[in-house]
Amino acid sequence: MDAETIFRIANSVAIAGWLVLLASPIMPKVAHYVSAMAIPLLLAVVYSALIMAFWSGGQGGFDSLEHVAELFRSPELLLAGWIHYLAFDLFVGAWITRKARKDGIAFWAVIPCLVLTFLFGPAGFLLFSAITAAKSVPSLKGAAS
Amino acid sequence: MNTLAKSLPVPVRTPAAARLDPVWWLGELGRREPVLAGTGILIGLAAIPMAFAGVVDPRLFNGIDVWIKPVKFATAIVLYMLTLAFFAGWVSGKDRRKWWFNVAVRIVAAAALFEIVYISYQASLAQASHYNRADMLHIALYAMMGVGATLMVAFSGLLALLIRRNPALNVAPAIRDSVVIGLALTFVLTMIVAGTLSAWGSHWIGGVHSDAGGMVLTGWSRDGGDLRVAHLFATHAMHFIPIFGVASAYIFGGGNRLPIWLFSALFTGFVAFLYFQALAGQPFLPFIE
Repeated sequence: MDAETIFRIANSVAIAGWLVLLASPIMPKVAHYVSAMAIPLLLAVVYSALIMAFWSGGQGGFDSLEHVAELFRSPELLLAGWIHYLAFDLFVGAWITRKARKDGIAFWAVIPCLVLTFLFGPAGFLLFSAITAAKSVPSLKGAAS
Repeated sequence: MNTLAKSLPVPVRTPAAARLDPVWWLGELGRREPVLAGTGILIGLAAIPMAFAGVVDPRLFNGIDVWIKPVKFATAIVLYMLTLAFFAGWVSGKDRRKWWFNVAVRIVAAAALFEIVYISYQASLAQASHYNRADMLHIALYAMMGVGATLMVAFSGLLALLIRRNPALNVAPAIRDSVVIGLALTFVLTMIVAGTLSAWGSHWIGGVHSDAGGMVLTGWSRDGGDLRVAHLFATHAMHFIPIFGVASAYIFGGGNRLPIWLFSALFTGFVAFLYFQALAGQPFLPFIE
């Protein structure tokens, strides 16, 4: 199986996970099992396998930016890095969905957080944390509920 | 009827459905010996990324994909750990609570984990784990594998002794004997075969020293002797003989030990045959591709 094929399959699987998160208001349990467990674990297996197979053949390391760039010159390690994004972004998206539900944050306010997490990972986490922080201000208690 | 019920390896009151349910079985093994069952399950799960690494990794070692060896070892060790966990349930509660039993169980688990971690790590480097004498470090690690494997196999000998001396074990004599002999033979025969394997410096004797073109599934040499054949049957005495024991208890009665002893003698003879066949440089069942 070549890197390009794995890339396309991993992307499709991750997008399926995000679509399930968008449907989470009608099926929260399924969304949890699919998007916080099944898909991230599947991606984690693929990631681990890629690292096991290609890490020893790669150049570079974690200690300087130049070395990190060198690591990503191996297409398989670049793919592993991409799957790392896919897995952890989806996992954070599922965590946001679950926490919002528990804290009583309206789903319409969660959607932009999910979109941002999907596209730009940490920025979505930042937005969600900002919403949570704003809601903790006493006068804003009922907002976005 | 009573003997027949006693000869079953699990209590008859267990619903038939539960006995075929793998999740129930893993739970049952965990109740019998949590450390060994847990180690087995963990190594079984580790085989999943290893198998997938085999799918993506183009590198070969000895002519076959580098990940075939770790997956084979993981499979074998899972089966070994779960079997030990199963039979540990037949040791008396008094012995199982002894400090030395719990130390032994943890040594076996640590040895199994070391073995599989080192084999996988070396596979990821496309380097040998067994027989790796490249430098002092690898010689030392190979020696540690030998010590670990010896301790793992010695535990089946210990289980044989402990099951034999359990006065409260409620199974038919034929079954008890088959389990005690099976575990003891796993220990004794594996020590002989694996000791030779290690001393010889290779498991291949004559023929092409490559796994490419080996027997389907097992990889055994088709054109020369291969000591791995005798190793497999020696170590699986703990499965073959108890399975014969259960069948024999149904056919010849749970009180009849003679068939067990005869079969054990035959089985030992068979392993001896495989051992000398390999040493003579002859392949096992060479007509199977």
